[in-house]
Amino acid sequence: MKRMSWVLLVCLVILLWGGIASAEEVTLTITWAAWAPMDTLIALAEDFTAKTGIKVKGDPVPWPQYHDKVFTEFASGKTSFDIVLPDSQWLGEAVVGGHLVDITEWFNEKVKKEDFYETFITSFCEYPDGSGKYYGIPALGDFFGMCYRTDLFNDPEEKKAFQEKYGYELKVPETWSQLRDIAQFFTRPEKNLYGVALWQAPIPTAGLTDEFLACFWSFGAELWDPGSKKVKGYLNSEAGKAAARYWVDLYQYCPPGSANYSMDEANTAMQQGLVAMMGTYLAFYPGLVDPSFSAYWDKIDFFATPAEKNWYVQLGGQGLSISAYTPYKKEALMFLEWWLSPETQWKWAQAGMFSCMKSIVEDDQYLEYAPVNKVARVSYPHLKDYWEIPQYNEMGTVMAEILNASILGKYTPDEAMDLIAEKHEEILERAGYYK
Amino acid sequence: MVGIRNTWANRVSERGMLYLFLLPTFVLLLFLVIFPLIWSLYLSFCQYSANAANPPIFVGIRNFSFIFQQKEIWDRFAVTGKFVAMAVVVEFFLGFFIAMLLNREFYGKGVLTTLFILPMMFSPAVIGKFFRFMMDTNWGIINYILGKLFGIPKIAWTTSYEYALPSIVVADVWIWTPFIVLLSLAGLSSVPKYLYEAADVDRASGWFKFRYITLPYVAPILLLAVLFRTMDAFRFFDLVYVITEGGPGYSTQIIPFYIYKLAFSYWHTGQSCALAYVLLIIIIALSNIYITYLNRLRRT
Repeated sequence: MKRMSWVLLVCLVILLWGGIASAEEVTLTITWAAWAPMDTLIALAEDFTAKTGIKVKGDPVPWPQYHDKVFTEFASGKTSFDIVLPDSQWLGEAVVGGHLVDITEWFNEKVKKEDFYETFITSFCEYPDGSGKYYGIPALGDFFGMCYRTDLFNDPEEKKAFQEKYGYELKVPETWSQLRDIAQFFTRPEKNLYGVALWQAPIPTAGLTDEFLACFWSFGAELWDPGSKKVKGYLNSEAGKAAARYWVDLYQYCPPGSANYSMDEANTAMQQGLVAMMGTYLAFYPGLVDPSFSAYWDKIDFFATPAEKNWYVQLGGQGLSISAYTPYKKEALMFLEWWLSPETQWKWAQAGMFSCMKSIVEDDQYLEYAPVNKVARVSYPHLKDYWEIPQYNEMGTVMAEILNASILGKYTPDEAMDLIAEKHEEILERAGYYK
Repeated sequence: MVGIRNTWANRVSERGMLYLFLLPTFVLLLFLVIFPLIWSLYLSFCQYSANAANPPIFVGIRNFSFIFQQKEIWDRFAVTGKFVAMAVVVEFFLGFFIAMLLNREFYGKGVLTTLFILPMMFSPAVIGKFFRFMMDTNWGIINYILGKLFGIPKIAWTTSYEYALPSIVVADVWIWTPFIVLLSLAGLSSVPKYLYEAADVDRASGWFKFRYITLPYVAPILLLAVLFRTMDAFRFFDLVYVITEGGPGYSTQIIPFYIYKLAFSYWHTGQSCALAYVLLIIIIALSNIYITYLNRLRRT
């Protein structure tokens, strides 16, 4: 009996001690891709810890595995993270699965929508579009942009030769047609120099789809009819096929074997001087201008993806959302509130990260914080995002795989677009969009 | 007289104790193997996404009929078959050849044998990464050497339709040939020496000794090695994921890779379970053919 009493007492002490310890020490875990913005966010979060006593730690995941890792945890009904920064196109998938906390009431009270660019609100926060239901707040205003070698573009000899060959001045391309000319001009295999490195990998995230769509929309094409969701006649319209023909043609000015290029390969091509131009999400810029990574760190500048008939820029970036499975919803909302404060937003911008806040982006001081910020300012009014429905991954994969096959000669560009349109309608049909 | 203490251990019969010891293993098997097997079989007949909040809906054989109607899935089966055939055949002949070379006494045999079996010890994902770097069109050492020594222009090893699948086969051969070497060596060392001595007395040719002494002895173990490699090659995933990510297009997407995509990228859990079962049936059928042949070999 006496022994039993001792055991009970020890158990009670352990329980109480554990309870006190856990009440004192809340640690929020944030998951995001393993890249510079994640490091910056975690460093900034020290301010939050200083103000609230709530610790914050990061759980970075390499980009190619990021989606699958997050959604595998969601599927298990328990997440190792409390806050997640989902890509805009994941929002539908996550909301339909019930994996994110509905913060509509809090959002309406705390967030001034007019402070942010509208695309960031609709793409990072609201699902479905126009529903008034919110699941996140804007965080990183990333977008697809391009960079170029200033030493090549500003070389008087190159300028002269280009002027003679094409009849206009060599400068940052304003249209996709000009970009093709410049890529052709700088393609010199005998000097191991090629025109442009583009994301061509047959994968839905960080692959061909991301980069192609900026071109596709700018050629005047559309992915579908937003109302009926019919794809045929939109994606494979004459404008869509023209964009595909352009894209396939452009591949001859890309480095050989670049059909699997994603962020790392494209960055390396630029860092090592293999190409004159390169397309990427510009939040990756730190590695391009860092002398420890880039041989051309002081000869790289940035520009917006060009226009053609229209001008659209592919949206990137992420919002901050709360996992439905976190035990720390209150603390996570405190973090979101801290994040929205102008003080935090300015510090974020000063660290060289893309802000989603209009007042910051439109302030000229912002241009001094990072060489890509001037591109952000001109790109934001032209941002456009692709499918934000749960089937986006399958649709993006189909597009990336078929167009990737097309640049390697398996399909003509026209055949490729017809096939993509057919496959997309099959996916939407199976998902019940045509009932 | 000292009475036996009435503890619970003494009250349990011998048979009861037997079951008690088996219980932890059985529970582990039940939860880690049997339950997932039965549950995934059930899911293969359901419309279900593990990622969505909805429960599984029974749809009969719809997932299976969907699989068999998709041309792309048949393409992937064809790629899988091509990969398995290429990899297993090359590994078999190369592995057996190396084992024949190693099956004699020479200085440094131990070190050389260890070196030959080293690749099997590394993680395939890490090896895949190395092969991806080595085969890179612009930075890879293979193109560098070919260019410097023979003036061969850059070859897109992992991103062209001609070379992508053979490149994966090369990496697989590098990892798994040692497995065939090991088993072949075990088979070769089991051949009684006196048979060779008797053949020498009769002045039998090298080919005769190989055909009528070596081969009959090692054939069963070789077949076993091929069986293991075939089963393993059908479940192969990591090298494709790391080296080509299924590209160009979907030309190197073998079935296990596609099952992964269906399950964790598209979240078509029901369809992925159905396809996994189709693959399982194929592997069991192939294994049975091998085993039947193996038994026939043993009888003869």
